[in-house]
Amino acid sequence: MKTDIQPVIELSEVHKFYNQGQLREVHALKDITLRVEQGEMICLRGPSGSGKSTLLSIMGCVFGPTSGFAAVGGKQLSRMPDQYLTCYRRKTIGFIFQHFNILPELTVENNIVLPLLPLGISPHDQKKRAALLMERFGIMHRRDFQASQISGGELQRTAIARALILDPPIILADEPTAHLDSTRSLELMESLTTLRQDGKTISLTSHDPLVTEHKNVDRVVDMEDGCIVESESVCS
Amino acid sequence: MRPSWLLISFFSLFIVIDIVFLCVHNGRRAEFDATVPSLNSLVAQMGLSDLALSTEARYTRHPALTDPVAPFMDHIGAIEHFPSGSFMAPSSVRKVGMPNE
Amino acid sequence: MNNSVQKQLNILDYGLQSLWRKKFKNLCVFFIFTLVIFLLASFQCMNTSLTRTAEKLLLTVPDITIQQLSAGRQTAMSVETIKKLGTIFGITEINPRIWGYYFDETNGANYTVLGTDDHSFAPLQLDLLESGQYLKPEEGGQVVLGQAVVDNLALSGRRYFSFFRPDLTLMSFQQVGVFAEKTNLLTADLILMSLEDAGDLFAMQKGYVTDLLVTVGNSNEIQTIAAKIAEKIPGSRVLTSAQIQKTYQAIFGFRSGFGAACLLASLAAFVILAFDKGLGFSKEDQREVGILKILGWQTGDIMRLRFYESLVTSLCAFVFGMTLAWMHILFFDGGLFRPVFLGWSVLRPSFDIVPFIQLQDILLVFAFSVLPYLTATIIPAWRASMVRADTVI
Repeated sequence: MKTDIQPVIELSEVHKFYNQGQLREVHALKDITLRVEQGEMICLRGPSGSGKSTLLSIMGCVFGPTSGFAAVGGKQLSRMPDQYLTCYRRKTIGFIFQHFNILPELTVENNIVLPLLPLGISPHDQKKRAALLMERFGIMHRRDFQASQISGGELQRTAIARALILDPPIILADEPTAHLDSTRSLELMESLTTLRQDGKTISLTSHDPLVTEHKNVDRVVDMEDGCIVESESVCS
Repeated sequence: MRPSWLLISFFSLFIVIDIVFLCVHNGRRAEFDATVPSLNSLVAQMGLSDLALSTEARYTRHPALTDPVAPFMDHIGAIEHFPSGSFMAPSSVRKVGMPNE
Repeated sequence: MNNSVQKQLNILDYGLQSLWRKKFKNLCVFFIFTLVIFLLASFQCMNTSLTRTAEKLLLTVPDITIQQLSAGRQTAMSVETIKKLGTIFGITEINPRIWGYYFDETNGANYTVLGTDDHSFAPLQLDLLESGQYLKPEEGGQVVLGQAVVDNLALSGRRYFSFFRPDLTLMSFQQVGVFAEKTNLLTADLILMSLEDAGDLFAMQKGYVTDLLVTVGNSNEIQTIAAKIAEKIPGSRVLTSAQIQKTYQAIFGFRSGFGAACLLASLAAFVILAFDKGLGFSKEDQREVGILKILGWQTGDIMRLRFYESLVTSLCAFVFGMTLAWMHILFFDGGLFRPVFLGWSVLRPSFDIVPFIQLQDILLVFAFSVLPYLTATIIPAWRASMVRADTVI
């Protein structure tokens, strides 16, 4: 483990309970300790219910842990009230979701600028920023199309463009290839690789071999029943 | 154009229309106010107590002067059609020829 | 532009777009709401217009009106009664009057017959008459007619017409003048004749009239003098001008209250609909909120978004409905509500409603429409904003 570099994500002895103290209490994360360095691409692997998504949510500042230490980008999450968490998340994290979670009735451009709206950025600047990203990911010609009218690959690139609109240092992707064929999956991994080359830290969850065995994934973290089972480095 | 400007234009349009309406209203009122003194003298001279709005019965024509039992005078079971009666049809007996008291 | 203003505009834009995306549903809500506000505002405006008009016109009603009651009904009273009142200090004038109703069987219409011997009509300005002249005291059988009576009798230029006395003998009249159109509000159904002619038409006993009009020198003394009159003439009904005015306001108040109660019921139904619409929070809506939240929208932003959506819907409906209501009153004389206010008179006085628009009414309609709608949508909006960001992960 490279301890000389300041970790971007640092979790130690993290526990997460849902419905704590109630009948349906779930102990979702058990004693998780994990460090992710800047520029690293890691992959969380495990069956559904193993706690991958919960771990990703903590890494993505969606909520803090029930107990333990969790710091993202140098800030300790458990001390942050909810609204600061949201502000912080907006600046720090870009999300790519399993179903891309693109709003189908909005145009491609309007989907991409969604994170900018509550920041009070003028429509003119919104368009400028979106245009740069659409250009970069080759979806400029789909700009005014409704998201429901574009292809799966374009949808995926729209999702990446939206994740990058605020230029966050950390990208989190939850099962990004779950609904893609192998060509599209490889395309997505290529896109993520270029982001990594830009210095972004990337964390994925997946059990798709195309992802877990991809040459650019630095580390695969295996999870089971809320615990980290094994952490293996793919590349030397 | 951004949607919020469209909304603001919608409101502005209606505010303009409403201002025009207010002007029409003020004109009509001024016209009426000009006739008020002569109408007042008419009221005073003839001792008129009510507006000529409903002429259906004496207690609706001159509600301010009528005696409280007037609606029930015509026949037993007469409908008190003022003011609640305003929302019901008059009894058919009336139409057939009884004085429309 | 200021950052926070820009932020509000951005959220408003997004809200407007999402309203537009569900345009069928939202336009339906908008139109129903507009209709409710239109009805409420028209009714309120019409009521105000009529009461204010009555208030202005009836300022000069006689100070005291005296009627005789017998067996709980109004009967004729002798002119001799005037002598009894002569001793009351403060009364400046007493005028006897016959006030009756003539039912015209051919037309099914009621005319108001006013018989008076007050020959001080001379000072009345001539512009109160459209044509002709007032009654001449020395000549009998003359009448001055209201416009609706002229129309109803279909005189078309004829000057003579006849009415039946109670014993079915005919009494003929000569029309000498017609009241001007601007007095329609007061004179539409009026037939003005001399006291003697009126007594003859109704076959009343000589020297008997229906009521006495009393003028008092000092208006502060009206109540005291009314009490004295009541004492002097047992079994009489003594009405003061203040009572008449009050009764008048109460009449419109009652009708308006009744109408408003019906309208408020529809408003309540609408508010329940709005509440229900807000609560019927679909999976799609939930997902949208989840996505927005995880993309960095705060709970407050989502609430603001939903609030703007209801505000826009209700304000647009308010402005639109209010404007339609004003149009209804200004240009269509409140056609929809005339029947409610005017009853079902056969003889329809044709007058223009004098519109009266006042701030209170606007605020009242606002308070009874926009505010309940906003309140009804706030709880669903709050619930919607409580969707957790991680629901979409």
